[in-house]
Amino acid sequence: MGVEYKVNRLRATGNIRPLVDKHWGDLRAAKERGEKVAWASGPSFMFPYSMGMKCHFMAGYASYAGGIGAADELLRLAETTGDLPETCSYHRLHMGLVEAIKKGVPIKEQAILPLPDLLIAGRYCTEQSHYSESFYRRMGLRIAPLELPFVFNKEDRPRIREFVYRQIVENVIPNLEDVCEKPFDYDRLSEILSVLKKTATLRNECWKFLATKPATWTLWDYAVSMAPVIYMMGDPAGIPFYEDLLKELKERHEKGIPALAPEGEKYRIYWDGWIPWAFLGKFMRKFTPHGAVCLCGRYPWEMFPHPELIDPEHPLDTVVDWVYGEETGLACHMAPKGSIEMIGELIEEYSIDGLVMFSSKSCRMWNQSHLDQIDALDKKYGIPGVVIEADMIDPEMVQDSQIDTRLQALFETIDGRRRR
Amino acid sequence: MEKALSKIVEVTSDPYAYVAGLKDRTQKKIIGCFPMYVPEEIVHAAGLIPVVIWRGNESVTWGHAHVPAYDCGITRSFVDDAVRGKLSFMDGMVFHVRQCLQVGEFPLIMERNVKPAYQKILYLPPIYKGDSIKSFLLGDLESFKGSLEDFTGKKISDDNLKESIEIYNENRSLLERVYEIRREKPEILRAREVMQIVWSSMLMLKEDHNELLRELINGMEKKSVEPKKDRIKVIPVGCLCQTLQFDILDIIEDLGMIIPDDDLYVGSRYFANKVNPNGDPIEALADRYLVKTPLCPTKGVWDIDWGVEVIKQMKENDAKGIISIRVKYCPPHTCYYPDFKSKMVEEGVPEVMIEMEHEIISLEGVKTRLQSFVETIGGV
Ligand code: SF4
Ligand code: SF4
Repeated sequence: MGVEYKVNRLRATGNIRPLVDKHWGDLRAAKERGEKVAWASGPSFMFPYSMGMKCHFMAGYASYAGGIGAADELLRLAETTGDLPETCSYHRLHMGLVEAIKKGVPIKEQAILPLPDLLIAGRYCTEQSHYSESFYRRMGLRIAPLELPFVFNKEDRPRIREFVYRQIVENVIPNLEDVCEKPFDYDRLSEILSVLKKTATLRNECWKFLATKPATWTLWDYAVSMAPVIYMMGDPAGIPFYEDLLKELKERHEKGIPALAPEGEKYRIYWDGWIPWAFLGKFMRKFTPHGAVCLCGRYPWEMFPHPELIDPEHPLDTVVDWVYGEETGLACHMAPKGSIEMIGELIEEYSIDGLVMFSSKSCRMWNQSHLDQIDALDKKYGIPGVVIEADMIDPEMVQDSQIDTRLQALFETIDGRRRR
Repeated sequence: MEKALSKIVEVTSDPYAYVAGLKDRTQKKIIGCFPMYVPEEIVHAAGLIPVVIWRGNESVTWGHAHVPAYDCGITRSFVDDAVRGKLSFMDGMVFHVRQCLQVGEFPLIMERNVKPAYQKILYLPPIYKGDSIKSFLLGDLESFKGSLEDFTGKKISDDNLKESIEIYNENRSLLERVYEIRREKPEILRAREVMQIVWSSMLMLKEDHNELLRELINGMEKKSVEPKKDRIKVIPVGCLCQTLQFDILDIIEDLGMIIPDDDLYVGSRYFANKVNPNGDPIEALADRYLVKTPLCPTKGVWDIDWGVEVIKQMKENDAKGIISIRVKYCPPHTCYYPDFKSKMVEEGVPEVMIEMEHEIISLEGVKTRLQSFVETIGGV
């Protein structure tokens, strides 16, 4: 009889929900408290935070809405405004939100946000400018745009870095100063980064337990624990959260308790692309019975993976180098060629057996050249991969049979290669 | 006029054979420029032949081993053509990767599977406020120029650039003239012929195309046509980056509509706005890119409304309605479309949207939509 795998659930990750709820609750109540509010896309939300503004973050809000089960009603609302199903689901989600705010449509209360005083329109993914422009057209929101190109060739990186730095100084900061009627608070940005440095350092300690064999926890556990290094950035509550998580992981490891009962995983999987926020349980159920665990991925590794490089003394440079720094800049790993390098490093560090490229039909940022990436990585590391097509939050785009068949094929290929 | 037109039809009926033949005839290298904003003048000034990459008319086969079925038509068709070796006459390729996410698919796929001798990435920025935008754009164009100099081993002088700009500007003026005559006598050309005229400009050496256009214009000016009063004027809009299936244009006309002007990429958008022939040529090319109209949803412009612009164009042409041609899986257009539609509703402008798929299985649906559209705007 085959092994019956079961997930060993972590206690510490359960502590994240109240922190996340508080974050979004504070944002919802900000206007009543007379605070200014911003919405942001791309890696730009730390600028409003530095001004003491409460700030939404496009992907963070989508994950939150997906997690609390509000995504579907927002997506259906977007349909009524003519947004087409092939449009990026995060875009549609926000158009649904705008419609709910505009018309007072009753939706899940926690999903309603106050309209912003300023939209920081980071254009990391080109789609993000369409979303900001739609806000402008529908609500007349004030916009501070910020072009954030991916780096396709490393020799282009220095001039792109300079360009982004200049835009922040020339456009983002003056807009914030104008809206908040005070000078930009570099000291606060430094404080935020000091807290982040501690939080991300602890988080990296936790990552080590994804590399253990068998794995001590999983990518899904980490995914639900990411808020302190993203949109909760600068909130000291993230530090005890990760301390507690680290303690539990150490204990588990010492006691030999793996992420998957009874004896640990059979397949160690790399996961590319967004996390399927609204369907985490569903995906877990697709991997677990096979003894497969997802351990790492490009997206979850975006959040300051090198805390040692965070320099609170040079806050603006730190933020810009997070995305455009030499070697480690995120934007270098977003273009397909650079991503091969990064995925290769993760394959080695986490002893990966197979690749799952999660391709959202409406988000082409993460699925650029997926098939060629698989081929290149297979040739270099001898690791097979599959593309599965679904969505992060839209249930109408998730078809089980296609996903199941492809995952089955992946596991069989790994088995076949092991037998060789 | 007929001779010029038949040459245009020949070029566009088999662009692969034409461009390959052009290379043989001129002994010059061919650089494929992915639409829509690669400044072809710089390639031309380098002594190379820029051609705008096109959507073929075959179903995608091998291409699907590289890109998903939910990429837009030209993305899939171009990858398919390239990996099947149908574009082997292209010595180089240029991609503006900040236009949309799908262009980002190409660099790795081409590098691994096609290996063009020259490949260049452009990062043309959206048209946001601030000096950093223009200076980055200038840097991008300088880097483009430098890469072509490295490729050819020859410097591109300002005079070379100005000469090319002049030739390209002339092409724009001539195409404008074709459109002007069409506005005066909309029956003079079929809509498919107009699209072929613009498309041929993207494929031919501009000098040759200018000559052809002069001949064509001469004929068009002389030709008198019987105006058909019952025809309803409509403006097609959109269809970014690619040609529309000619059959759809035929259906529009067969249903009693006529197109006096358009807002299509393989149409008036391609030749809109000239480059300032004076001053620094790279700066002049940058300035042309930075013009906000005709509004393009890939350029990050929000202070001008596409709907308002198109309604203006419709009124200027005394047209009665708008036909939006939305390429399936084209996010820039798709994201903009709901607001465009709302503007049309708000202003009481009749509008219909046709979704353009690369692989058309049946045109019946398109015909039905257009039929009811023409009925609502007062046709038969
Ligand atoms: S396309 Fe993808 S990356 Fe871009 S905004 Fe949408 S979800 Fe985000
Ligand atoms: S048609 Fe649209 S999606 Fe396709 S390449 Fe052009 S702009 Fe991009």
